[in-house]
Parts: sequence; C-alpha cells; structure tokens
Amino acid sequence: MSFLAPAFLAGLLAIGLPLWLHRLSAENPNRRPFSSVMFLEAGEPRRVLAKQLQYLLLLAFRIAVLVALVLAFIQPAIWRDPAAAAAGGQRLHVIVVDTSASMAAGDRWDEAVDTAIDLIDSVPAADQVQLIAAGRVFEIVSSATLDKATVRQQVRSLETGVFFVDFGQLTRALDGVLRTAELPAVLHFVTDAQAAGLPTRFADLSPTEPVEIVVHAVGADEPNWSVGSLFGSALTGELAATVTSHAAAAADRTLEIELNGNVVDRQRVTLEPGSEAVVEFAPLTLQSGANRVRVIMQPGDVLAADDARMLALNRPVPHPVLVVSGELGGTGDTRFLTEAMRVLEGLSLEVTAIGESELAEQEFSDYEFVVVADAAAIDGREADRLSRYVESGGGLLLALGPRSPMLSAVPVTGHAFASQATPLGGRAANAVTIGSIETSHPALAGLDTIRAARFMRYAAVEETAADEVLIRLETGDPLLIERGLGDGRLLLYASSLDRQWNDLPREPAFVPFVAGLADHLLGGAGFTNEAALGSTLALAAMGMSGGQIFGPDGESVLRLGGTDVLLDQIGFYELVGGGRTELVAVNFDGRESDLAPAPEQTLARWQGLGRAPEAVEGGSAVREEVLVPLGYWLLLLILAAAIMESGLGNWHLRVRRGLAA
Amino acid sequence: MASTGVAHPRHLLEPHVLAGLSNLELVARAVVNGFLTGLHRSPFFGFSQEFREYKAYAEGDDPRFIDWNVYARTDRTYIKRFLGETNTRLVILLDASASMGFGSGAVTKLQYAKFLAATLAYLATRQHDAVGLIVFDEDIVDHKKPSSRPGHLHGVLHAIDRAEPGTGTDLARPIERFRQFEKGRGLVAVISDFYCEPEALLAGVRPLAYQGHDVVLFQLLDPEELKPELRESALLEDMESGAAIEVSPSFMRARYREKIDAHISDLKRQATGAGADHVLVDITHPLDEALRSYLLFRHRRG
Repeated sequence: MSFLAPAFLAGLLAIGLPLWLHRLSAENPNRRPFSSVMFLEAGEPRRVLAKQLQYLLLLAFRIAVLVALVLAFIQPAIWRDPAAAAAGGQRLHVIVVDTSASMAAGDRWDEAVDTAIDLIDSVPAADQVQLIAAGRVFEIVSSATLDKATVRQQVRSLETGVFFVDFGQLTRALDGVLRTAELPAVLHFVTDAQAAGLPTRFADLSPTEPVEIVVHAVGADEPNWSVGSLFGSALTGELAATVTSHAAAAADRTLEIELNGNVVDRQRVTLEPGSEAVVEFAPLTLQSGANRVRVIMQPGDVLAADDARMLALNRPVPHPVLVVSGELGGTGDTRFLTEAMRVLEGLSLEVTAIGESELAEQEFSDYEFVVVADAAAIDGREADRLSRYVESGGGLLLALGPRSPMLSAVPVTGHAFASQATPLGGRAANAVTIGSIETSHPALAGLDTIRAARFMRYAAVEETAADEVLIRLETGDPLLIERGLGDGRLLLYASSLDRQWNDLPREPAFVPFVAGLADHLLGGAGFTNEAALGSTLALAAMGMSGGQIFGPDGESVLRLGGTDVLLDQIGFYELVGGGRTELVAVNFDGRESDLAPAPEQTLARWQGLGRAPEAVEGGSAVREEVLVPLGYWLLLLILAAAIMESGLGNWHLRVRRGLAA
Repeated sequence: MASTGVAHPRHLLEPHVLAGLSNLELVARAVVNGFLTGLHRSPFFGFSQEFREYKAYAEGDDPRFIDWNVYARTDRTYIKRFLGETNTRLVILLDASASMGFGSGAVTKLQYAKFLAATLAYLATRQHDAVGLIVFDEDIVDHKKPSSRPGHLHGVLHAIDRAEPGTGTDLARPIERFRQFEKGRGLVAVISDFYCEPEALLAGVRPLAYQGHDVVLFQLLDPEELKPELRESALLEDMESGAAIEVSPSFMRARYREKIDAHISDLKRQATGAGADHVLVDITHPLDEALRSYLLFRHRRG
C-alpha cells in the first residue's frame, strides 16, 4: 500500500463534521410537551430503536463517503507482483501488428490480419488481449481486455502506413506498456520481420521486462526494385536517378519522367541482382518557379510505393548582391568571399564588388543583401542608410576587419567593443578556435567542419540581449551574431572575411559557410526541396512568416495558428505565403524497399531473448513489483456509498415523518 | 349611526376574544350577556322578570324579593318567584392540574376552564343560585362553600382567577371534600380533561348521584389532543409525570385517535350509567355550546 499524497490525510478530519451534526441532532430531538401519555403505546420504542439503528447506518455511510473521498485525493496504490496473477494461469497477450510501409507489399497485410485474428482466437478465454499498431510511433489500439470480439474488429480496421519500423526502438517503446502489465505478458509480433528493420545492436531487441516473445513472420522474400534517389540541377535541368535492385534475378525496367504532370523522357535500364544503376536524363526545360519532377519505374512490382520518386526543382532567379570592400583602393579583402559566391550556382548570386569609395553611389534597394567587409569603411551617413535598408527587409553581413580597432562602436548595430586591443598576436600558436556553433540554425546546419579554422585576431564585441550568438570562440567571445532589425536580417562577423585575421577562407568549410550565410540572408531561397518522411516542415524554414501548407492530397495540413506540420504523406507539399509558392517533395523511406526477411536463426535468437515470467520467479532475478492505483475503485466506492446514503437518508426521513410502514 | 367597532354578541363568546379580557368577571358578564342576547326569550332559559308564582317567605330567602304589596293586603310575607329561578346550589369542581396547561391555540385548557367556571358562576348568581367552588389538582387548592350572599360571586371569581396549572390529577380528593361539606342536594359541575380511568372517576361520581346531586362533566380537550397532526416523529413529554415517549405521525393519526375516541365514548357511557351528564368541549369553540348544555342540564334537573 502506498499513499502518493499523504498530506491529504488531514482531510480525514472532515469526518468530524457528520459526527458532530449527528450528535447534535441526537441531543436535540423534536421534544414537545403533551397533556398525557396515557394513550401512547408502549410499542413505540421499538420503532424508535429501528430509527436509531438506521440513523447510525446513515452516519456510517456518510463517514464512508468522506473517507473514500479523502482516500481518492491521497491516490493510494498497492504494490502488486504481476507474477502473482500467474497462479491462476492468466496471461496478457500483447499483439503488436507491424504497419510499416513494407507490409503493403503483395498480400502481406492480408496475411498479417489473418494471423492476428487466428492468434486472438487461439488465446484462452481467461487470458487478456491488448492490440498495438507499430508504425512511425506505436499506437495502443486497445487496452488489456477480455473482449476478444472487439479486438478482432480493431485488427480488421487497421491499415498499413508509409513509415519505417525499427524493431529495436519499438522494443524500447513497448517496455513502458509491459511495465504496467498486471498479468504475465506474452509479446506477439505480427510482422514481415524485415532484416532492414533489425537494430545494429541485437541486444536492443531484448525487452527489459520478463516477457515471452513470439514472432509471427508473414510474407516471403519477394523481388523488389525501387527508385532509390533522384538528383537534379535547378539551374541546368540535368537529372539523374538511382535505381536499386532487391531481387535475385536481373530485370529490365523503364524509367519515365514526368515534369509538371507531362511525360518528357523515358530511359530503359537493366538491373543486375542486388545492384544499383544510375540513369541520367536529358536536361529538363524548367519553368520559372517551382517544378514537379516525378520518376516512375515500370513495370511495377509487389511494393508500388517505392516505384516512384519525386523532386521539387525551384528554378532560381538571379539574386543581386553588393560586396563592399574595406580595402583602400582595391577589393583584395573580399576576393575569397566573391569567388565563393560565384561558385554557388545553386543560389544564382550576381555579385557586384565595389570599393568603399563607391559606396555612396549605390542604391542598396537594388540588392537582395549587402556585405561590408570592414565596418570601418562605413561612415555615419552610410550607416543610417544601411539601417533603413535592413529595416525595410534587406540583408546585411557586417565584418569587423583590420581597421576595427579604430572604431568606438560597431556602425549600424551599435555594439560596443569589450577591449579595443584584442590583437592576440599574429602567430599561429596564439590562435583560438571555435568553441560552439548553433548548428540548429538554418544558416549553419551541418557546418561542424568549420571548427578547423583558426582565428589569430578578432574584435571582441559585447553581446546584448537582442543578439543571438550563432558562433562563439573558445574564449567565449561571439564570432557570429544575428540581430533582427525591422523586417530584415543582420549578421555581424567579428573577424575579417579574408585571411588577415583567420585562415577560414582556406578551409573547405568556407564555401558552405558562405552558402549558408547567403542563403539565410536571401530568406531561404536556396532551400533543398526534399524533406524526409516523418520529419517536420516549418513555414519559417522557408522564409515565410505566415501562410498555409497543403498536403499531397490538396488538403490544408497546417493547424490553425500552427507553424509546422509532420510530413506523413508521400508526394508534394505546397507552401503558399508571402506572395510565393514553394514545393517540397517527400519520398518513400528507402529502408522499407528491401523486403528480405531476417533469417530463421535470427528470428529464433530474437524469440530467445524473451523470458517467461515463471522462469524469473524460480530464478534469482528479483521481479519489480508494479504499483497499481486504486483511484478508480475508490471512485466506484464513493458513487455506491453516495447512492446508498441518498436512499437511506430518504428512508430515514420517511421514518421520521411516519410514512414508512 | 354605524355600528363600527361593536362586536357581535356571538363573537364575544370566542375563546381568543375572551383571552384578551383581563378581568374574569368581565369575561363572565360578556359571555352571559352575549349568550342571553342570542337566546331570544326561550321558554326554558328565560331570564326575564316574568312572574311565575308566589312563595311564602322562609328563613334564608333574600328579603329583597318580598312582595310588599301582598304583605299590605294580607299581612303575610310572600316572595315573588320568576320564570327561571330555581333557588338551587351549584358547586364547580375546577381541575387545575398540569395537563390543563396544554393548549395549541390562543387559550389553554385551564384558561378555557376558568372562563367556563366564571361564566357558570355568574349565570347561577343571576338565577339566584348559591355558588360554590373547589379548585384541585392532586390536592385541594381552593375551596369556596356555596352561598348566594351578595359579594360571594367576587370571592368565587377571584378563586377561579388564582388557579394555575399545578401537578397531577386526583379527582377522588375534590369529590371526597365535596361529600364532606355538601350534604344538601344540588348541581355539581366538574370541569376537567379527565385523563383518568373512567371507572375510577365514576366510582367517585356515583355516590354523588346517590345523594341526589346532579352531576355534569365538562371534558375540555384541545384539537391537538383530539386530532393530533405531527409532521415528523416527536418525543412527547407528559406534562404531569414528565415521562416521554417518542411517537410517529402515523401512530398519532390512526391508533391514538382511536384510543382517545374510545376513552371519550367510555367516559360518556359510564357517566350516563352513573346518572351524570357528559359534555365534550373543544376549547377552540365558543362557550355558548357549553352554556347551552348546562342550561339544558339544569332545566332537566330543575
């Protein structure tokens, strides 16, 4: 017995109230003078005694209601050994039905449903059954019950999904269900037992709870071919697809390309057993904006879902960019940056490099973002112009070049310098490296390799509450700061963009770093238009502050007030907002394409990981007892006592008024 | 002139109206006058000065009623007698036990009994009857011997007025006292609730009848005693003994009423057997019913 909230025990004092009221009532009967009692019968005391007994019974029920109510607040629970119930031979059969995408292959699903129903039919009448559907997440379809007819109906209502199932993760998730089981459990997996679904560590298949495991394998190793991946260039329209064979025999397949719903090309390919083939297509003629590209393999096979693959190609429009050099009389300090931008063809940047002397002649609104290589090149007037430009929606990358020590504060942002002299020497031995990177930021995703760069000098700026530090040096000083300014974006880089203060431009990570910054300053224009099944898609990641997301079936999938959606359908998701439309392709999880089941020996080992509860009882292992809450039973007790109290109270009143016989 | 503010004589007989009068003599006058006004010269109960006969003066007769004209003519003293005059004696036995203090309305049984006793005394005095009084509970509380002397009525009324609910009831005591002091023939009015065994009561009354007394029993009961209405069970406490019994409404509605009715019937039957009259009086009813019963009784015996 355990009291989870013993402080509520003080509530038991409440039973003093009915006791006091009953005592008060008993001490103050309806007493009145009468002329003579000579005609009152001596038999009356019997009725009075009966009334007093009823009164005591009524008092007992009232106290019982209060005590039960207090106990309900205390949330009592009892420790119970699940194995104790085994004495009666009862068991809980947890039936886990695999609803992963591969279960749709051939007649696997029908076979799985029949197997599950046969399994339910074979369960002894005294045993309980619980049904769980395993997809991307596992869903408890029914709680433990003896009502097998309902569970059979629920099995028939299940459908296959589009997700991959990892049996290791599934076993971990099932541990929670098994831990609360009140009976010894038998875990039944009704699955195609894909070898691809087994975890890397076989031990992950072992449940922590002592249960018996039975794997009911359905389906056979059927040949399957899939379109594994699809690559395309939004600039050139070039397209290549990878086709994978999961078959023991060679086969010829035809790949058909649909561009915006029209078939534009076909390629024939011969696939050797267990091999991959790359098929290149003639460059596509893309229309401006978003293009839907779909590759369909024919003829189809047992698993139709992986016979097609989609790609969204967003033909880029040129993005004019202004790069302002801080070098007097030249642009040497921005050479690495401009070269990096020019090789980023995916972003289609049109770079205009100028010296600081030409800054006054530029109209910033002609450019999508501006890079200033040395903040010292900006005077007060230009700083005001740049501020207004950013506030109206422009982008600005402001670097603190070699002349920064001349500044009292950073132009545009107003950041103060922590120390005017942050020379750190010029020798590599004194260089610092990057301490932390906010890789969850879209501009820096996957940029861990930037840590190899060494920073000989940097300007230590004092961060403010309005700043978001994206990269911090190992000294703790910020290297890259983002600050929102009006509708635009502003990035402050605390070192030089050339090699004078750091060796980042010589590192391979420099180009991806520049690409990430440019992509971010452009508002996510270079977003890869393919997302993984089961991931989430946010409007903000597409540079949209508001809008709507439509699923492949054309239905709106964004909740009211929501900003992101779970991608749980295969096809094109359409994002509409801010005057533009973006497409995101979501494809079949390739891990489900290999239909080969795990070998028999592996399945035998898997089942061998299960431990019968009886064996545990007899062994040395100490079985953990389960805390079973009694709140439900207490509520039933309160209800019953309240009903009886009402009835008894009413009867008592009838007796008092002499209505009862 | 409008008669605004003047109560109808019948209205004056209502107990709750009488309860507002502090003077018992005033109560008696109001009742008798109101009652007589409503009689309209009945041949049985006339109180007019209607001549009936001459009677030779005897010692003890009131000399005020000697007809001096006859004396002048005949040289003998005669007294004029009028219709309604009987020249008898009335002794009132007033029960002042604790149970008489019960009352669910404007007046208690004792108050009503006092009104009735005072009225009877006043009425008897107007008929030139001698009036006596015994107030009792378990014992004799007060005793006024019968007399028709002027001023005796005031003494009787004061004795009635002093009566308060006492302890228990013992009817044998006042009857015994009456038998000790009243040897002559007369009227005996017993005013009580008669919570006693009828046989025991009649054992005392029967010798009085044998002595030639005419006995009338006024049994005063409250409606709550005749037809009690309980809403819920109650602990009823005897006003005399203090004993308490818890009763249910159903019992009081059925069984109790049967028993009290049987008691009244038995009392009436036993009284008739003993040559006495029994008058059941509901204390919420006007006094004229009781007075009418008394006059009928007096006329029959007179």
